[in-house]
Amino acid sequence: MNDRNLVRGLFLIAISLAFGLMSLRYPMGQFSRAGPGLFPLLVSCLLFLIGVFTVARSRFVERVPMDFNLKNISLILASLCGFAVISEYVNMIVGIVFMVFCASFAGTSYSVMRNIKISIGLVAVAFAFQKLLGLNLPLY
Amino acid sequence: MDILHNLALGFEVALTWQNLLFCAIGCIVGTLVGLLPGLGPLATISILLPLTYSIPTGGALIMLAGIYYGAQYGDSVSAITMKIPHASSIVACIDGYQMTLKGRTGLALFTAGVSSFIGGTVAIVVLSALAPTLGEVALLFGPADYCALMLVGFVCVSFVTTGSLLNGMAMCLIGVLLGAIGTDVNSGMQRFTMNLAFLTDGVGLVSVALGCFGIAEITKNLDNRDERTPFNGKIHLMPTWAEFKRIIPSALRGSVVGSFLGILPGGGPVIAQFAAYAVDKKLSKYRHEIGSGAIEGVAGQAAADEAAARTSFIPLMSIGIPENAVMALMMAAFIIKGIQPGPNMIAGHPDLFWGLVASMWVGNCFLITLNVPLVRYWLSVFKIPYSVLFPSILFFCCIGTYSVNNNLDDIFNTAVFGFVGYMFLRLDLDAAPLMLGFILGPMLEENFRRALLLSRGNFTSFFTRPISGTLLAFIGIFIVWQATAFVLLARKTTAGQQPA
Repeated sequence: MNDRNLVRGLFLIAISLAFGLMSLRYPMGQFSRAGPGLFPLLVSCLLFLIGVFTVARSRFVERVPMDFNLKNISLILASLCGFAVISEYVNMIVGIVFMVFCASFAGTSYSVMRNIKISIGLVAVAFAFQKLLGLNLPLY
Repeated sequence: MDILHNLALGFEVALTWQNLLFCAIGCIVGTLVGLLPGLGPLATISILLPLTYSIPTGGALIMLAGIYYGAQYGDSVSAITMKIPHASSIVACIDGYQMTLKGRTGLALFTAGVSSFIGGTVAIVVLSALAPTLGEVALLFGPADYCALMLVGFVCVSFVTTGSLLNGMAMCLIGVLLGAIGTDVNSGMQRFTMNLAFLTDGVGLVSVALGCFGIAEITKNLDNRDERTPFNGKIHLMPTWAEFKRIIPSALRGSVVGSFLGILPGGGPVIAQFAAYAVDKKLSKYRHEIGSGAIEGVAGQAAADEAAARTSFIPLMSIGIPENAVMALMMAAFIIKGIQPGPNMIAGHPDLFWGLVASMWVGNCFLITLNVPLVRYWLSVFKIPYSVLFPSILFFCCIGTYSVNNNLDDIFNTAVFGFVGYMFLRLDLDAAPLMLGFILGPMLEENFRRALLLSRGNFTSFFTRPISGTLLAFIGIFIVWQATAFVLLARKTTAGQQPA
């Protein structure tokens, strides 16, 4: 599976199948009176064709290895989701602190002092947004 | 005389102290964010979009436009001083960085600033003359013509931004499919919502934009882990008179090229820069120096860049169809503010339209008076280590997503699109066409269904109408050309492999 062009084709096919099969469940109607399923089905078919063509083409062009760093993207996503969950159940200040501490694991270096400083700075910005721009942030 | 009268109205709107302030803030913040590594105009606009929510409509549009130009200029600054290429400033890296190597950074930055000003001024003249006229032409468009025009936009954007028609079209189609999520306007049926309540209204634009451009870009930069050395050289801004004289002709050429290319579907700054650079290489008096740090190499492309950035507003505001991804995002911002761009915008909201046009010029003045002299201070952005920057960018992404609907669930959406966007990046798929597809998707479906309804399900009406027929023929020729090129290339490589 270490071929970027091949994976790309398969990825496109997967997306087209996901949308295409789902749109089959909606009424099609006729061309003169199109139902909600018709247009997405047509688009998915086109995408499927492009996917198949990409897979076919990947056999003719040189293989490009695909690099994928699961650690960084997981850390970033975890810090986003954590921010949302904590802001929902505790408050946004704790959320911001969590986000900074969790996300910086993905950086080149880790320093608790620096994280505390960044958190203080961002909380201050959040207060400024709330008071000056009138954003409705559940800070505390 | 009409134009002068309209422009006067525009300046009346743009020169209120409030709007001046918004314009200045937009330019400065846009420049600062645009300077950051890896953040081009698209990411900058999507991150800063939420700043404009609490501002009155006119001011918000003016500020957004300011952010756009600021981001463009910031891009070219980082390209000239550190050779950090963004999609929108590849050409500035060539001669601009060569000038930096020769210790003439200040001159390069000054040239870029002045040329942008010239390019912007020319483009505004074109814009105010053309947009209202084109708006009248747009009234001739039927549903089938709109469909064809959008498809032309897809094909052109795919080809220009990604260089690969296939990958770009795939991204456009994915965008169209994402745009179909939510309630179908015609039947009220819920599509692809998987019974999730927050998808009933469709996927939020800001979630898609921030996920694909903000989150994905941050992660890509983190993967690369190359710490950049900040620029520490001296900056001497003012040119000699002889140098100044060299800027003008090249900048004027660039403005004309840029203004023209900015109007075409799929056009915009990127293609305009390359074209202007090529024109300079052919026509300039100093063409032998271009490529090794010539003033012309910076002036022409900067003027074209700016001119195209402005004239690309023409199709959006006159026909209502954005021609590239940045304009699609602009259109979304207009719609968030309750303005539907299109032929009716100029007639219905003349103060907004002409105010925006005038503010473009005001924005140019800000760029040249604030950003050019202060550029050495802006450059200190690079002294902030990335470990401090990226949590802050992440924070802005979160606040931005949340404040659209004051809904924390939207952040999960952003996270999902962050992952998808990261997949796209790793698979070498450019997310810009996706944005265009996503925003045009609902319009495309609407017009497609309407066109079929009018022709009673007969597809030939797409080809027999003069406007849509011509546009579709253009697409056909383009696809055939691409396919032939691919087959020829494949034959050449297999032929090359056989002897070995």
